[in-house]
Amino acid sequence: MDLSFFLYLSSGLFLGWSLGAGDAPNIFGTAVGTKMVKFRTAAAIASLFIIIGAVSAGSGASQTLGALGSINTLAGAFMTALAAALTVYWMVELSLPISTSQAIVGAIVGWNFYAGRQTDIGTLSKIVSTWVICPVLSGLIAITLYQTLKFLARKSRLHLLRQDSYTRIGLIVVGAFGSYALGANNIANVMGVFVNANQLHALSFGSFAELNPTQVLFLIGAIAISVGVITRSHKVMYTIGCGVMKMSPLMALVVVLSQSLVLFIFASPNLREMLISLGLPALPLVPVSSSQAVIGAVMGIGIAKGGRELNWNILLKTAAGWITTPIIAAGICYISLFFLQNVFGQTVYLP
Amino acid sequence: MFHLRLSLFSRTKTLEEKIDSFHDKLLDVSMTFKKAVREFLSNGRSEDYKKLSKQIKQIEHDADNLRRDIEKKLYTQNLIPDLRADVLHIIENMDKVINKFDEVAYKFYIEQPEIPEEYHRRISELCDQTSDCAENMAIASRAFFRDFSSVRDYSQKVYFIEHESDLSSGRLKEALFDSELPLANKLQLSSFIEEIADIADIAEDFIDELLIFTIKRDI
Repeated sequence: MDLSFFLYLSSGLFLGWSLGAGDAPNIFGTAVGTKMVKFRTAAAIASLFIIIGAVSAGSGASQTLGALGSINTLAGAFMTALAAALTVYWMVELSLPISTSQAIVGAIVGWNFYAGRQTDIGTLSKIVSTWVICPVLSGLIAITLYQTLKFLARKSRLHLLRQDSYTRIGLIVVGAFGSYALGANNIANVMGVFVNANQLHALSFGSFAELNPTQVLFLIGAIAISVGVITRSHKVMYTIGCGVMKMSPLMALVVVLSQSLVLFIFASPNLREMLISLGLPALPLVPVSSSQAVIGAVMGIGIAKGGRELNWNILLKTAAGWITTPIIAAGICYISLFFLQNVFGQTVYLP
Repeated sequence: MFHLRLSLFSRTKTLEEKIDSFHDKLLDVSMTFKKAVREFLSNGRSEDYKKLSKQIKQIEHDADNLRRDIEKKLYTQNLIPDLRADVLHIIENMDKVINKFDEVAYKFYIEQPEIPEEYHRRISELCDQTSDCAENMAIASRAFFRDFSSVRDYSQKVYFIEHESDLSSGRLKEALFDSELPLANKLQLSSFIEEIADIADIAEDFIDELLIFTIKRDI
């Protein structure tokens, strides 16, 4: 294996780090923002479960990204990931909940343009449709969960303190599930572009487990995400927890569970197969934005509560980011590929 | 994780019990006060009255210790972060009512007012009303912790009884100042009536806040 592989992989790791800082807070942001879970606990659980999710169930969504643009050189993959990472980093600097999925899709489309490849409109429209379906679905799930939980809270007559304990445990358990789903769904954003140019070997842990080369790649990417969670997600967690709408811990639980379910639905091949075998409509396995999911869930609750408490300015600012993110990422990727090819003499695509 | 869960629940259970005990104190002090005033009206500062007055003082003292303990545990164990300030407010305001009962009982003990027999029934009635107010306030507050949908029902009772106590105290003072009693007695008795009626007023203010906290508690 060429050591330069790791040099090229660095942009993916940077993107992973950015995802950890910008997207992972969606999972625990509400819990940390409402002071129900300490940041340290949240960061430790998120890191562990993101790695488990990415390694064990990350392949489904990455195949869809591969279908959008099959980046066939390491230099091309490096620059695509770097363009997305720079976009995400910039958005995080502005404290905006960011969509890494849209950044990487924009960057891949930028590579397609540069390489003169036709972007598969079918795949692109499938991905773009999830940008709409994801928040809407998350919102609908949140409304249902919110009403159910409200009914149960009234009927159960639990003591306020007991309810608080259950909510705290619920936030940790659901946060772990959400982290797993985020790892499974979003590892494609971080490492998906490197799958075709992967030079890693399989890794064996004796009789305990064996990872194939793609899983090893995902493991490295997931570790980068975890580093992002630990080192930089604190600020965004508070923006999410306190910014869009004032939330009670129970509402926070609804938000995290809704977005976790959405991420899981878009990441789980088993669930997809089960739905198909039952004759039910199945959603495509696509890396979706946890930011969109969380905003959808918060809006869902806001609507269920009559819509008076929503901070529409932050929602509009975030929505504007969804449109500008892929465009900026595509632009950065296109220009950077030009420099990488013509100034540094790297092969950024194979005909 | 299992250990964490157990310790979290045992801490919660202990605090739940303390909060429940604190509510019990308010009910106890209210009933003891009613009994003490009846005793005073019948026999003045008798031995029985002294005992009841001492009992009220002890309840007040125990309630103070419980309040401090609850406040400390809520903060050190980082429980209910979003509603902690509201819960502290509830506990402190309930403590104010307990203190007021103690204050009035002690005032009877110290000043030993001479109350003409014709006012006994009305003063006893006023005491019943303020005690009812405090008891319903305690039930409303307990409901806030367990069954917040019924807070409104008990709050309505507090409002109604407080209004009745206002009317009673007004009528009583009117009758008092229309009487031939010396002015010093009139002023002393009027001050007692005001102090007793104040308990219902504090309960009413408490309920105003409790209803706001209940809206916040609804998810």
